[in-house]
Amino acid sequence: MAALSPVGSRRARRMKAGAVYVALAALTLVFLFPLLWIISLSLKTRLQMVSLSPLAPFWPTLENYAAVFSRADFGGAFVNSVIVSAFAVSLSLLVGVPAAYAMARFSFLGRNTLFFALLAMRMLPPIAVLVPMYVLFATLGLTTTRTAVVLAYTTFSLPLVVWIMRGFFEDLPRELEESAWVDGATRLRAFLHIVLPLIKPGLVAACILCLQLAWNDFLFAAVLTSNATRTLPVLMAAFSGGDTGVDWGGMTASGVLVILPVILFSFLAQRHLVAGLSSGAVKG
Amino acid sequence: MGGFGEATATGGAVTTRSSTRRGGRSAASWSDRHFHRLAVLPTTVVMLLVFGIPLLFSAWLSLEAWSPDQRLFGGRFAGWDNYRDLLTDPEFVSSLTLTLFYTAATVTTELLAGLGIALLLNIDLPWIGLFRTLLVVPMMITPVVAASCWKLLLDPDHGAINALIGQHIVWLGRPGTALLSVCVVNVWQNAPYVAILLLAGLRSLPHEPLEAASIDGASRWQVFWHVTLPLLKPYILVALLLRMIFEFRAFDNIYVLTSGGPANATMTLSMFTYLASFVRFDMSLAAASSWLMLLISLVMCLLFMAVVRRRDAT
Repeated sequence: MAALSPVGSRRARRMKAGAVYVALAALTLVFLFPLLWIISLSLKTRLQMVSLSPLAPFWPTLENYAAVFSRADFGGAFVNSVIVSAFAVSLSLLVGVPAAYAMARFSFLGRNTLFFALLAMRMLPPIAVLVPMYVLFATLGLTTTRTAVVLAYTTFSLPLVVWIMRGFFEDLPRELEESAWVDGATRLRAFLHIVLPLIKPGLVAACILCLQLAWNDFLFAAVLTSNATRTLPVLMAAFSGGDTGVDWGGMTASGVLVILPVILFSFLAQRHLVAGLSSGAVKG
Repeated sequence: MGGFGEATATGGAVTTRSSTRRGGRSAASWSDRHFHRLAVLPTTVVMLLVFGIPLLFSAWLSLEAWSPDQRLFGGRFAGWDNYRDLLTDPEFVSSLTLTLFYTAATVTTELLAGLGIALLLNIDLPWIGLFRTLLVVPMMITPVVAASCWKLLLDPDHGAINALIGQHIVWLGRPGTALLSVCVVNVWQNAPYVAILLLAGLRSLPHEPLEAASIDGASRWQVFWHVTLPLLKPYILVALLLRMIFEFRAFDNIYVLTSGGPANATMTLSMFTYLASFVRFDMSLAAASSWLMLLISLVMCLLFMAVVRRRDAT
């Protein structure tokens, strides 16, 4: 839908288009400036950061990145983040996809209740779940383990999976599996061999959006991990927490490395973003 | 969401035919009849484990005087004492009002900024897709990294903000500017989210009313105010409620930027509960405060459900 009015001379329309471009470019600059800033800082030496004016040009260096890669705690946190996110997402897909299918295709007692409970699980404040969870996990001896973090992450990734996948299942014509049922296939067979292969794009979308949330989480990981099991966001917070002698180079370089995967993911998931977003699923 | 009852098969309507044809496969027909139950069972179990049981436990905890050095059920029953302590604690009450004020301020700004961005992004021009992609980036990035980045931007000595305006302001060191900074960071990160939601709404609006209005000689402003905005209202409501729900529980940015300070100027309820539980280890008080948070969120959650259902029904 073209909001630029079709009436008016060509010249006037061009002027309007130009004004829109200028406005958009300015907006983009404002919104991306913090990112450009952190990238530029990560390419400066310690001396350049303190002696040069923040906006002055400089000769870029990769020494901060070399320093980050040589640190043991960054590598450890990276591995923890990957493990925890991967397991949380796999668990949620395994558990949530069949439920989403059942909720999209069959009407049964308690379906609306289940759905509302899932919605509440996604939307209620995580700190409210974390307080009792911490006490219970401590009793079970699970705090500071990756298992605890994976279980905690299902509180947001499971509802997200069910919500997104339910939408995809509802959009799939039901004749496909109905004809398989008529031909004698069991519900399970029809689901595994006919529906699941068709729903792959949905699985990819749910997977990416969940990975992003798990990767970005700070609160659960901050409470439920130790130095050995902490994830990247927890390490980042530790970087910027110290008031004395914050290591700007290490902090900015590792920050850029942390957000690089999510930005790539977001470009990959762009097509599905709106579907996930309008369901209220993404972010928090 | 919505459309719950329509067009969904009831339990075992289709199985009758296959079971008469291949009678005797009772195991298969049993699993077919109970397929939906088996399919939702794992989700139900996980939900109870990570959500149901913790919340019930927290409700119980909030009625106890329990400390971490006691056995799990070794606390003393305290009734409503924790809740009374909270509601008479000036720090909690100011945290509650601060959270409501903060939520109102950020959500309003996010909606206005998001609507503006969405209207710009809705104009069909070459390369508009590039801007749509780029403007979404802030909402994607890890909140802790975003906040660390802003902390450096706001640094009094070497930060870009002070360099740009040519002044020396200790942004995060004074109550007023600290709260303002926290709000700005959250608006920066979440206005794109609102923009994407509203852009989706704008793209799905019917063309006819807009064209009819402009043919009838309505000015662009009149079309926007009397046609576009009312049509967009359901989407605005959804964005409003979602942002309220998520800003109400804001934590990550605030933790990194100010940790609730200075002088409790940015002490949101999440931050208050976090400090009560994981710094002072007063778990019972934290459970009570988190239950008050839960109740407020639940109201917003129910409103959200109602709005979405009504939107999908029309």
